[in-house]
Amino acid sequence: MSNESESEAVAQDFRDALEDLQSFDRTEISTLTVIARENTEHAHAISGALQDHIKRVIPQKKLPALYVLDSIVKNVGTPYTLYFGRKLYQTFMDAYASVDMPTRRKMDEMLRTWKGPVAGSLDTRPVFPPDVTRPIENALIKARTAHLQAQQKHQQGQQQLLGRSRPASQGVPYRETPTPPGFHPPSQANGYPAQPPVPTSSGPSYGSSSQLPPTTYPPHSSQPQPTRSTPQPTPGLMAFHPPQLGGYGAPQAGISIDALNNDIQRLITASKAQIALNPHDPSIQTRLKALVDLQTILQTQNLPQDQLVLVKNQIADLAVTIKAPPSQTPTPTPVPQPQPQPAPVAVAPPPTAAPKVSLDSLFGAGTLAALMARNSVTPQASAPYHPPAPVAIHTPPPPPQPKPVEPKKPVTTHPPPPPSDPMALMNMLRQAGLLPGTAPASSSTPVSHATPSNSFPVAFNIPPTIPVVQHVRPSTLEGLTSDIVLRASSLKQFRPQLLPFLFESLGPQCTQCGRRFPKDEEGKKKKTAHMDWHFRVNQRIAEAEKRGQHRSWLVDEVDWIKTREIVDTDYVAPSGDSNSASGGSASKEPQLQYIPVPDDPSLANSVCSICQEKFETRWLDQQQEFVWPDAMKVGEKIYHASCYKEAFKDGGNTPVYSRGTPEPVTGKRKAELDDERHGRNDAHAM
Amino acid sequence: MSIPGLGDLAPAAAPVVTSSSAAAPTITEVLEPFWEYRFEVPHGSTLDIKLVSGTAEKDGTELAPNTTYTFTAMKSKINTWHGCTLEISSPSGNYDAYTSEPTADETPMVSYLNLHFKLEAFRTAAQKAGQTGPRVLVVGPPNSGKTSLVKMLTGWATRMGRQPLVINTDCREGMLALPGSLSAAVFATIIDITTDWGSTPSSGPSAVPVKLPLVYNYGLGQPEENMRLYKRVLSRLAVTATSRLAEDPDVKTAGLLIDTGGVNVSKGGYDHIAHIVAEFSVNIVLVIGSERIGSEIQKKFAGQKTSLDEPITVVSLDKSGGVVERDTGFLQQVHEAAIKEYFFGDSNTTLSPFTQQVDFSALSIWKINPASASATLDDDIYSDAMLEKIEPSLMIQNCVLSVNYASIHDSADTIRDSNVMGYVYVAEVDEKRRKLKILAPVNARLGDRPLLWGSWPEPMVSLLG
Repeated sequence: MSNESESEAVAQDFRDALEDLQSFDRTEISTLTVIARENTEHAHAISGALQDHIKRVIPQKKLPALYVLDSIVKNVGTPYTLYFGRKLYQTFMDAYASVDMPTRRKMDEMLRTWKGPVAGSLDTRPVFPPDVTRPIENALIKARTAHLQAQQKHQQGQQQLLGRSRPASQGVPYRETPTPPGFHPPSQANGYPAQPPVPTSSGPSYGSSSQLPPTTYPPHSSQPQPTRSTPQPTPGLMAFHPPQLGGYGAPQAGISIDALNNDIQRLITASKAQIALNPHDPSIQTRLKALVDLQTILQTQNLPQDQLVLVKNQIADLAVTIKAPPSQTPTPTPVPQPQPQPAPVAVAPPPTAAPKVSLDSLFGAGTLAALMARNSVTPQASAPYHPPAPVAIHTPPPPPQPKPVEPKKPVTTHPPPPPSDPMALMNMLRQAGLLPGTAPASSSTPVSHATPSNSFPVAFNIPPTIPVVQHVRPSTLEGLTSDIVLRASSLKQFRPQLLPFLFESLGPQCTQCGRRFPKDEEGKKKKTAHMDWHFRVNQRIAEAEKRGQHRSWLVDEVDWIKTREIVDTDYVAPSGDSNSASGGSASKEPQLQYIPVPDDPSLANSVCSICQEKFETRWLDQQQEFVWPDAMKVGEKIYHASCYKEAFKDGGNTPVYSRGTPEPVTGKRKAELDDERHGRNDAHAM
Repeated sequence: MSIPGLGDLAPAAAPVVTSSSAAAPTITEVLEPFWEYRFEVPHGSTLDIKLVSGTAEKDGTELAPNTTYTFTAMKSKINTWHGCTLEISSPSGNYDAYTSEPTADETPMVSYLNLHFKLEAFRTAAQKAGQTGPRVLVVGPPNSGKTSLVKMLTGWATRMGRQPLVINTDCREGMLALPGSLSAAVFATIIDITTDWGSTPSSGPSAVPVKLPLVYNYGLGQPEENMRLYKRVLSRLAVTATSRLAEDPDVKTAGLLIDTGGVNVSKGGYDHIAHIVAEFSVNIVLVIGSERIGSEIQKKFAGQKTSLDEPITVVSLDKSGGVVERDTGFLQQVHEAAIKEYFFGDSNTTLSPFTQQVDFSALSIWKINPASASATLDDDIYSDAMLEKIEPSLMIQNCVLSVNYASIHDSADTIRDSNVMGYVYVAEVDEKRRKLKILAPVNARLGDRPLLWGSWPEPMVSLLG
């Protein structure tokens, strides 16, 4: 394989891993750094991929990607600093221009660190040479000045800019702004092109919704505010009332769900700010996840009062423990994701993250289960909690081709998870990651409506909603297909609502083979395994080309029946690779002992010299060849590894030739030697 | 059409029919939803297709974005549900291509897609109930797009995480095997779209996961040539496939997708179709591209139930307008390419087969006989006449023989029922010295494996040329 295409392959892998980078996950960032470190010969391609990525992704994802860049230049250094340095100005400024204020502060900080040597390093040179960083600084100073001036002008009669206003303007509460910031990607206020906030097709409905908040707000703020009783981290935070929740402001006796929601939203905001400050702290990450999950549950399920009390108390406790972020954070950081606004529509199951885990970590074991159990018992309680208001605002954009609408479909005031059906709820939980598999079996109507053939480009344009939307499948495929009859006329009807099941709902594509992987945890794991697999196979292809290959014999009936297809799960055998494993493998649990199935058909029926039983043939995907598991070759004889161990366990001195670690090369050679011997015999026979 | 972040796209250029210049100009094709880019690439020419934006699929398998796929010796199409932009270039040789622009009402793809989702619903139901998923048979006249439909249903099912067991009962073509065989394979992973069905395992790695087929050699070009043998082999395949189904829950849920050879309407060749339906407990028969076959099949299975006591549903489907006649010349080339690919690999992987000299006496070769005119179908006396042990002769030169999982000491019946381990090619027969020169995929003696020789695939002169 030529170096170029190899580079391309590496860059492709890298790009793919980047696509998955959602937030400030330390492990993801360090994984990417490791990849970069191990592929310095492809530094050019990798740095190109990363620069492209930073340029291309939505503003919310730029910072994580920049952290990757940061991590690479600090931990790997040259040649990456050289490659990134060339275009650093452009990369940095492009990103800077499109992100919001808190993110910019992060970027400022980052830039500052680039001017000095790597912390703790012996090297006293700065991360990037001054001639790289200085132009950026100069540009930023200019921009700030200009921005400040513009700011002041705007403040006189304008609103919009609040999202990125300087501290001076922070006191202005959002509720006085006709357009709450949550509705606008940060980029807008800056006059940067970026993406339109909503899909064009749904323009009208969203457009109107963004006008609504002023009207819905007053009731909200006049609400009895248990919110206020919750310890408030900072005044700044207090000022922030997520506008999107306003729509739900049906005041409640007792504990208001909205108030709770507000509290949670505030905590989420605070957590996000903390993450932004401290991107490498997994505990905050976990907490944020849990909060988002909880928010989802609150917004989509209806919990009886006693449960709400429980939640509220926990929230209150938590609010104390979450330290108030520094003053710049009052701005709602749209950074990671949960634009809670689409949530009522889209989010039924707690998104992706196995909610059980995170909720448990937050509230103690079993909380979620308790909530869910409670919820499924009292499903009817739902109605009052869902005033019609959200419908007006949040009904998903109407499907482009509102073809036959199924009776079952929630076109209704209820959020997609049909709250009256506990089974559906459990299913959704399952899909959310509590149970694997079955994912494609069901899916969401409203969401699929929003995304389908709407024409593709648009779908790309609504980053804030898409991630939330994608793994949400409130209604099942079965429901949607129930009107299909196996008759020509019924089959000919185009049902656009089904298409997402083969596309968007399955998640983004692997850039190498086109397979789709869900964005939930399970899917991510699979995708990582899958990318590993690609990587290893690509490596092995290069090796194999030097070695010479041949077609294998097929298996016999019995083995074929016993074969199980291996999809992804088995790819996750990290120790198999000669380059990575040598050190760690020894300490691991007993490895799979196997030998490749001998090519010589006369050997193919060999029996274990000890127990006289045949060997079982398995296709080992990782090595891409047929093997006999639990087999080992000693001299010319083949044994079951277990038999052999049993038989020779006392006589430790017996020289054992075992292939504990997969070493396909030597194994192959062995087999080939045998073959050659046979070949010679043939020749002699002539 | 432009997609932010992906760059502006060049305006669509008119399709150019041939291009053979060294520069290989790149053409950009913009397809709207439901459109199809249909192309024919002859042997020796290549066509590169790259998906630049949008989504596109070939036979139900999605193209990866910004990945160049190189096609050769293929008549096929790329279709899109969302619209897409393709970059097309032909580095060598020529090709023929055009864009078909149907609407949702016109394209039969919509029916196929709905069908898939209905099958998916059946699979979900089967999964819940712990029962077997749908067993689907695709029937139709030659060149009606049966295999494409099977492939599409397979690709879609795989994408949704299913593991359908695909069965090829068309002895003229091979699926993951050489022509003349009947085979089955579970598809749990993506199909390599630049090939027909993907490739079978080799000693090296494969960028697209290989599929592991179960193969039986029927060795003749038409079921009618020896209907009894065909049915015997088919039954054996069904037994093994059903065992897999019973033991492998994932496969059981996904069910079967069965491809057939073209039904010749005038001959009324429904005999073997009925056999397939019975053996595999088929509960959905898709008839594609022929009202006549549709109504005749409908009549045949009306009111019948499968062995699992389900009704048999017959569904008529339109064939795609893009289906092209693949003439015998093209097919022969396809067969020869398949044989070549088996021994030597394809453009992605180079395989090294081994030649060896073998004594006549070291081999046990069985000839697969067409049914003699006098033999009636259920006449067991002729059982042994289906396979006949022969001495190697010049007759088998340039032929492909299957190596079977049996012993030379086994009876003819056992050998007939055994599955294929691989193939050898007879490069030379020296009747004087009583020696054969054979090409085998693996450098090893054949041991006591019997070889089966049939008239299909036809002898191929040029393999070692």
